[in-house]
Amino acid sequence: MSEMTVHTQGQLRNGLLDAYTATRRFLIRGTRQLDVVLGSVLIPVIFVVLFGYVFGSSIRIPGGNYRSYLMPGLFAMSILFSSNNVAVAVATDMSEGVVDRFRTLPIARSAIVIGRSLSSFVLGIPVLAVMILCGLAVGWRPEDGLGNAILALLLFELFGFAIGWLGVLVGLVAGGAQAADVIISIPTFLLGFISSVFVDPALMPAWLRVIAYWNPVSAVVTAGRQLFGNTIGPAPAGVWSLDHPIATTLGLALIIIVVVAPICVRLYSHSER
Amino acid sequence: MSAPAISASHLARSFGTTHALVDVSLDVEAGTVCALLGRNGAGKTTTVRILTTLLRANAGHARVAGFDVTEQAPQVRTRIGVTGQTATMDELLTGAENLETIGRFCHLGAANSRRRAAALLEQFDLTAAARQLVKNYSGGMRRRLDLAASLIHDPEVLFLDEPTTGLDPVSRAEMWTSIRTLVAGGTTVLLTTQYLDEADRLADTIVVVDRGLVVAEGTPEQLKASIGRAFIRVTLPEADPATLEKVRRLLGEEAEVSGRSVSAPAPHGLTTLEEVVGQLREQGVTVHEVGLEHPSLDEVFSTVTDHSGHPNVPATSTAGKA
Ligand SMILES: Nc1ncnc2c1ncn2[C@@H]1O[C@H](COP(=O)(O)OP(=O)(O)OP(=O)(O)O)[C@@H](O)[C@H]1O
Ligand SMILES: [Mg+2]
Repeated sequence: MSEMTVHTQGQLRNGLLDAYTATRRFLIRGTRQLDVVLGSVLIPVIFVVLFGYVFGSSIRIPGGNYRSYLMPGLFAMSILFSSNNVAVAVATDMSEGVVDRFRTLPIARSAIVIGRSLSSFVLGIPVLAVMILCGLAVGWRPEDGLGNAILALLLFELFGFAIGWLGVLVGLVAGGAQAADVIISIPTFLLGFISSVFVDPALMPAWLRVIAYWNPVSAVVTAGRQLFGNTIGPAPAGVWSLDHPIATTLGLALIIIVVVAPICVRLYSHSER
Repeated sequence: MSAPAISASHLARSFGTTHALVDVSLDVEAGTVCALLGRNGAGKTTTVRILTTLLRANAGHARVAGFDVTEQAPQVRTRIGVTGQTATMDELLTGAENLETIGRFCHLGAANSRRRAAALLEQFDLTAAARQLVKNYSGGMRRRLDLAASLIHDPEVLFLDEPTTGLDPVSRAEMWTSIRTLVAGGTTVLLTTQYLDEADRLADTIVVVDRGLVVAEGTPEQLKASIGRAFIRVTLPEADPATLEKVRRLLGEEAEVSGRSVSAPAPHGLTTLEEVVGQLREQGVTVHEVGLEHPSLDEVFSTVTDHSGHPNVPATSTAGKA
């Protein structure tokens, strides 16, 4: 019995060490791919300019300022798009010999995917920081105190962690980097644009409006707007997820993590055996 | 006698309709080198992948370092080192970072991993390139780094899938030296190769696989002896059927005609050669060449893997047969 406990303790310790080693490895890799990092910063920054100024001048949000409305949306958007990098990186890993090397080592089964997801989480932090700086530069401000602003950022990070797991999942099943890119780009693009990220869904045609209201991304963005004290726009009646955006975001993120992470671990350890 | 370090019995593995392994059994004694020899697609890599826990067999079982490769994969993994046929180093990490990461994954600890990495880089003449990204390494450097990586935790059993393919002659000789040094230190090695001289020089035992089956095995000497009689070959200036028939009758019952030459076993070596030359002269046969041939490992290889009418496997250049 006590021997058994020692054994599992050792396993847990090794498992944590392995996850740390894997995270470390992916972080080193990340710093060597500055073009990828730059790309994931550049696109949201372009959005700030494009929507904040080019299209934004003709977009009106009832009861508020457009850039105050837009910035939380762009934070969520940049997080959503970062899943693309994870998916491509995992798919690339899986098609290279490195995976064979890992499989012949005495590594905990879950370490590699956990490392991948944690490292993408860490690499996402500077991207969000750049977005915040951009926001501040164009006049966006958190308007409901520092405490709530920090809660908003934590919520976004949790959402990013969950989305990262979806990226890992796509990377594992795609069977190639290009396939992974396509598989993940289309839904992120649709979810990002058919939502309240850029415009008030009230102005959309009826069928699109229903999708935009119930789109979980809209809930995440609304949660952010609420916590930052930014412009939210008119609330639709009877959309639960928008009435309880913080609970929806929390629940959604937790469900994704709890369901997808074990699937990823299984897929990784059973692939090619 | 202690249990063999590697013991595989009746391994089989198919990929869809491709029967990569049909029935492969082999035993490798601890501290010896076994060479798995076979043409392209014979099933060498598949065998190595099963023994290194990368692939499940459809049938049969195998033990490595005393543990079952399917049931006890974690125990096997702590005791083996693997250098696969394709590179497994991370291109975006330096040589040192790659080795250190693998050391940490083997639970050597950070400091120890760094020390082992430095020592191995030194041993494989990679110290100068230690801080370079692997994507800037040459093929030979990658191969050496891969081997270094599989040694970081001092494995009991080492698997090398075509360790010298793509190396220049000097690097090849160095690789042989490294392997011999390891074996002298007690490591068991299973290597695959397409080079017969490599198997002949390095291996204590050779297992020849062909289309997923073991077709011959033994020490290099045993294999040579198994078809080991000398042959006499008489080559005529041209393929004239009447003369060929005359020579064939002269050489006895086991004589075989191929092209413009006739060959037959020469049980008494030079004596047989002298007799035959004398008889040919008596009968007034003009010959292009007469000679005695000893079987080489090449011939053993082509004999055991030769399927007349085999459609899709091109003979390797070393195994080519006239
Ligand atoms: N993952 C796979 N999917 C489908 N077929 C495979 C797979 N792996 C191997 N095969 C097939 O199994 C057979 C044996 O392949 P294997 O790689 O073991 O040969 P090998 O002896 O290592 O050849 P080589 O000298 O070319 O490396 C080949 O016909 C190959 O096409
Ligand atoms: Mg092979």
